[in-house]
Amino acid sequence: MSVAERIVVEAPTADAFTAPAVRRPGRRRPAFRIAVNAAGVAVFLIFVFPVLWMVTTSFRRGVDISSPNPRLLPIPGTLENYRKVFAREFFWSSLRNSLIITLLTVTLALGIAFLAAVAVSRYRFRGRKAFIVAILLVQMVPAEALIISLFKVLDGWHLINTIIGLTLTYLAFVLPFTIWTLRGFVANVPRELEEAAMVDGSSRLRAFLTVTFPLIAPGLVATGVFAFIQAWNEFIFALVIMNRPEHQTLPVWLQAFNEGAKGTDWGGVMAGSTIMAIPVIIFFLLVQHRVTAGLTAGAVKG
Amino acid sequence: MAIGSAGAPGAPAPAAPAAPSTSSRPSPHPVDGRRQGLRRRRRRPNTLPYALIAPAVAALVVMLGYPLLRLGILSLQKFGLRQQFGQPPDWVGLDNYHRILTDSYFWDVLWRTVTFAMVNVALTIGLGLLVALLMRTVGRGMRLLVGIGLMLAWAMPALTATVVWQWLFDTQYGLVNWAFTKVGIGDYQGHSWLSEPISFFMVATIIVVWMGIPFVAFTLFAAMSQIPKEIEEAACIDGAGPWQRFRDVTLSMIKPVLLILTALSVLWDFRVFTQIYVLQRAGGINRETNLLGVYAYRISIGENRFDVGAAIAVVMVLITLLLTLVYLRQMVRQEEM
Amino acid sequence: MKLRHLAAIGLAGTLGLAACGSSSKDSGSAGTTAAPSPETNAPATSAAAGTTIRLWLNGEDTKQELVDYAIAEFKKLHPEADVQFERQQWTGIVEKLTTALSSSDSPDVVELGNTQAQAFEAAGALADLSAQKAELGGDDLLQSLVEAGTYDGKFFGVPYYAGARIVVYRTDLFEKAGLTVPTTLDEFIAAGVKLKQDNAATPNFSGIYFPGKYWYAALPFIWQEGGDIAVQDGGAWKGTLSSAASVKGLGMVKKIMDEASGAPKDGDESKDYVAFCNGEVGMLMGPGWKLGQILNEKDGCPAMADKVGAFALPGAAAGTTAPAFLGGSNLAISAKSEHQELALDLLKIMAGKGYQTQFAQAGTIPALKSLLGQVSGDEAAKAQAVAALNSRFVPSSENWAGVEASTVLPDMLVSIAQGGDVQAAATQADQAITSQLNG
Repeated sequence: MSVAERIVVEAPTADAFTAPAVRRPGRRRPAFRIAVNAAGVAVFLIFVFPVLWMVTTSFRRGVDISSPNPRLLPIPGTLENYRKVFAREFFWSSLRNSLIITLLTVTLALGIAFLAAVAVSRYRFRGRKAFIVAILLVQMVPAEALIISLFKVLDGWHLINTIIGLTLTYLAFVLPFTIWTLRGFVANVPRELEEAAMVDGSSRLRAFLTVTFPLIAPGLVATGVFAFIQAWNEFIFALVIMNRPEHQTLPVWLQAFNEGAKGTDWGGVMAGSTIMAIPVIIFFLLVQHRVTAGLTAGAVKG
Repeated sequence: MAIGSAGAPGAPAPAAPAAPSTSSRPSPHPVDGRRQGLRRRRRRPNTLPYALIAPAVAALVVMLGYPLLRLGILSLQKFGLRQQFGQPPDWVGLDNYHRILTDSYFWDVLWRTVTFAMVNVALTIGLGLLVALLMRTVGRGMRLLVGIGLMLAWAMPALTATVVWQWLFDTQYGLVNWAFTKVGIGDYQGHSWLSEPISFFMVATIIVVWMGIPFVAFTLFAAMSQIPKEIEEAACIDGAGPWQRFRDVTLSMIKPVLLILTALSVLWDFRVFTQIYVLQRAGGINRETNLLGVYAYRISIGENRFDVGAAIAVVMVLITLLLTLVYLRQMVRQEEM
Repeated sequence: MKLRHLAAIGLAGTLGLAACGSSSKDSGSAGTTAAPSPETNAPATSAAAGTTIRLWLNGEDTKQELVDYAIAEFKKLHPEADVQFERQQWTGIVEKLTTALSSSDSPDVVELGNTQAQAFEAAGALADLSAQKAELGGDDLLQSLVEAGTYDGKFFGVPYYAGARIVVYRTDLFEKAGLTVPTTLDEFIAAGVKLKQDNAATPNFSGIYFPGKYWYAALPFIWQEGGDIAVQDGGAWKGTLSSAASVKGLGMVKKIMDEASGAPKDGDESKDYVAFCNGEVGMLMGPGWKLGQILNEKDGCPAMADKVGAFALPGAAAGTTAPAFLGGSNLAISAKSEHQELALDLLKIMAGKGYQTQFAQAGTIPALKSLLGQVSGDEAAKAQAVAALNSRFVPSSENWAGVEASTVLPDMLVSIAQGGDVQAAATQADQAITSQLNG
């Protein structure tokens, strides 16, 4: 086993999220515990309540949704809203488009950003400072101001109404933040590890891939989740760039419920939103144990 | 007390300085030919970093280069819908900027936006920190519960979240009015939360902060988990009180992360758009509740004055630069670039 | 971990479902191929062979059957060509049109709301149809929609359909209050006030449901008194909301908002049917389909069917109607369309008697005056046809879209609703309108 591999294996893989609470002497007073747990429940409720409202509304009948006496549980309930959602045209194609574009965006963003992050934290080269500042500057521009110009760019390349076109757009908006974040993670992995790998015969690049990459996994996960949410929920660019209905993404498709000929179909909107939230939650679950966990693995003190 | 210079929390902390030993020079023991090979290689300009950033640069330049350039150019021209459809635009120099900067309404909107952003950033970071601390203090089960709550909130699309919150505060059918009346706080039946600007922005703040806390809480929690237990326990043994412990140990160790989160929050909250736009549809007098992001949008797309909209966007970038200047300077210095 | 495995299966399942789930409902070209549909890039010369033209219609106003009819008629003329129908939504349609109409793959026939049409006409985004106006309906076309479709003397947008606002009311509440259908505008307002007084026990009750942002409903009162939003003098526009006549009309609106309405002072009209179904409304002003929405089985209250009626908003004297705000759409051909002749043929079909008659029979106001008598449907549809005969429109300026986008009128009305001074609010609105319209 090479030096590097040994270090990786032995790094503490403490799952911070599921580790027991930090013990502090004198803090065991039950009153304190109760207060703190009550606070926890309160926080949970505050954050979960709107989500719950969305889900319960999706099961409500139209007449009950706008009743002056709101009730907590949707009884009597209905599956009509979901039926409407699944039956509505272009649902499946929108779902497919959204999934493909989002996953493509996340994969490309992580790959490209990782390389850039490595370059920026491991090397000194002319233009490095400019690159970093440019990355930050780009995040300051309000995206809505660029819609029309961006459309023109894509149109020139005949990429309107294509998956690649929208993916490139999302990539451009997600890259700066991703590079920014991964830079910090890469910087935290001591050079010695890579150099140890190189001592054993790998090229520099291979050292990056086999040593650094796994160690910044939490960073990749955190930025991956962020990129996923951005791409998945994005509306205005998808609306304009994918102007043919069969190329739509889910958020644009969902908008149709907001403007039935006769006003907003709240039940449909909530049902559609709930369905939209599911893949995101699935993605979360897939990576949740890494989001905050194993971060201690990255802090191997050299 | 000396915490040591290994204060580089692993969490998304782009500003964290690399550990001191990782300077650009390779370790100075020429143990084998490979090392010498490295040093020899260093004399030639190393093309690897350029190759590594090439895809990123390409993607950004190709996609954003032209639009950003065009934004600058547009702000110096007279450009409306006619020009979009082919009529050649005239150059008007700084006219558009002059128009905005001499419009007292613009300054109203700007002032409103800055205030709104500052309040939101303070609340998001402050409350996010508290939530992170809470997660650190409770047991495993409760931590998971809170984490799930935060994640579900984070997963909700901005549009839907805004719509749900707006529903809760609805004038006639909102839960808040119903609950307040029921509980006896007062007669809130038919109370409109959006008609007065202050109240409007309060609702908007609730939404923006609610949506922003999960990310901040998770990140800060991760940063705090980086703090080696020994240091915390050492502080306890030293007899430091909880507040002092918090300040000297926790806070200083997560300071880089805190800084970057604050800077990012300023960036995002200054540009806030969706929440304001959706709430405006539901109530209030738009003129009194416009923030810069929405204002620029209404001018560009709504009034087809792309030139003025572009100028506003440029001004927004400059102001954001100003607001984050302090952080930028520190980052640049820290990087010893 | 089991949970992760479960989640992974879930994600894979979703992908799988999506892949094999493309049902027959997904019309149009196969989902997610990279290249744009090759047909629309075909050169204009190969007119009929294998060409497809793109038709954009917005919202839900045109039913699929009607579109199918139009396409079938089109194919009779051009058996080898085809029409690809793409239903768009109203939200973001301006951004979509701004980008798509100037792109290299522009849709051929588009629908424009009549308040948006002027801006695009002035910009040169649409094909000039002046020479074909006679074939497209000529003088039979609804006048105010023709105005919306004309710019600088040239004809660009063919009237498509229209809608006017009418009043929906509770017949039983009227009976209880001893009221009959008002025949003058003053009677209308008085009825509203009385209804609110009689039903003071019901919380949030409105004799006339009039939320603050409802500017469409405020216009008839301004127009009836002889006022207007703005007038054009020479080449320049001037806002006239603060003129004596307009202010008188606004005063009537204020009276309604203060004494007859229980609607949210800063809300819009989108939830009026909810309030109606909750028994909180005596009368409301709405589009022709409002009655259908109220009695809708799924979201409305069909139980009220025998307690509702409709009438056109009366004017100053008995037997007249107040000027109604005519909403509607125009159809146009993109200037960049590569199949202008084919698009024109489709346009002729859609503006033609066969198609428009079906609109009328569905209760929508058709674009042709000669068919107004054919508008059938419920009481509301008939009332709408009556109202449409006396209809007005917003200032036909290319910059009107900007006035709407900056919400000058709703803002003014909300401030009046909240107790602000009418003259002051109107003057402020006029300043904004004048500067907007003059560019």
